[in-house]
Amino acid sequence: MTIATTGGQAGSALERGAGGGAGGTLADVVETVLDKGVVIDAQVSVAVVGIQLLEINARIVIASVETYLRFAEAVDRLSITPKNQKGLPDLVGDAAGAATKGRAISGLGKAAQEISGAVADSLSDRGRDRERPRRRRDEER
Amino acid sequence: MTDEQAQPGGATGLFIYGIVPSDVEPTPDAEGVGDPPGEVTVVRHGELAALVSEVGLEEPMGRPADLTAYQTLLDGTAAVAPVLPVRFGTVVTGSDAVEDLLAAHHDRFANALDEFEDRLQYTVHGRFDEEAVISDFLAENSSAAALADQVRGRPEAESREERIRLGEMISQGVELRREAENRTLIDTLTPYVVSHAPRLPSNELDAMNVAFLVDTEDEEEFVRVLEEFAEQRRGLIRMRLLGPLAPYDFVTAHQLAE
Repeated sequence: MTIATTGGQAGSALERGAGGGAGGTLADVVETVLDKGVVIDAQVSVAVVGIQLLEINARIVIASVETYLRFAEAVDRLSITPKNQKGLPDLVGDAAGAATKGRAISGLGKAAQEISGAVADSLSDRGRDRERPRRRRDEER
Repeated sequence: MTDEQAQPGGATGLFIYGIVPSDVEPTPDAEGVGDPPGEVTVVRHGELAALVSEVGLEEPMGRPADLTAYQTLLDGTAAVAPVLPVRFGTVVTGSDAVEDLLAAHHDRFANALDEFEDRLQYTVHGRFDEEAVISDFLAENSSAAALADQVRGRPEAESREERIRLGEMISQGVELRREAENRTLIDTLTPYVVSHAPRLPSNELDAMNVAFLVDTEDEEEFVRVLEEFAEQRRGLIRMRLLGPLAPYDFVTAHQLAE
């Protein structure tokens, strides 16, 4: 795992992942390369493999009832009603302080876990993967 | 070459990684897809060459290791020479087919390679911190905040409809915020890049997802400006920079299939 410090400062707000799949997660690799690149047409004899994987990237993010309920759940987790919630400049100011750094870092770890989980799902069980959108549509009815 | 099409089962084909100038030579440690990894070689024609390795046609393709090998090879190549990535999973019957392909599109590929000389791709990802972006949204939207007060702490079973309504409002708010962040990112970096290519969001909490083609002499400045941009969003957006990469998102103009 390469965490380059091109900017020279540790704790930079910008995480770096090197190319070559070395610095990134599998999710990064999947997102970077799938469904990209020159497409060769059939005037030369071509066999294309890996079609199932190509479909993963074709899944677009579609807002669904599941998503909505998850957002509402996140509201439950917000500690206090944000009646006089700070605007963005305040948030940024706070986050630069040492006190909030720990929180930012733990939140980050969670996000990373979620990503790898998502890819494990899509890679390990393609059959089930394809079922999911159908199930979602049913629920919306 | 049509007589090559009917290959019996168990035969092998050539997996094509990318197209490069003919003076590119794979290093001996270059590993291809497959298990064990195939040996990467080149097939040359005129000013062009294709990076290829032999694969069994019956072999399952698309394991994580295959994807990583593909990207490692292309990104490693891009660091030293221009390369046109060929879509993952492209396998042709043999070196004759590769030569045909290079011959049929020789000038087009050569021009495209010229364009990528000394240029690399960087991909910028941003992911909203869920709590921070929702708090921001509720602060600016009083009807959503009122709804949030109604559902907070109540079980889902008895507040399901309100929850769906609230979630939908948040979802739309996040989407607008995403559009704005993407625009700002592109505007901020435009002076330091050759071009940009928007990418589709891969998650509901995506804040930005854009590929940039960067001239090697502008790389440092590009990264410096991006770091500043990320610093201004610390706590709200988790920002990541992937690269340098082969120009995966910039070859669409050179697609041959219509």
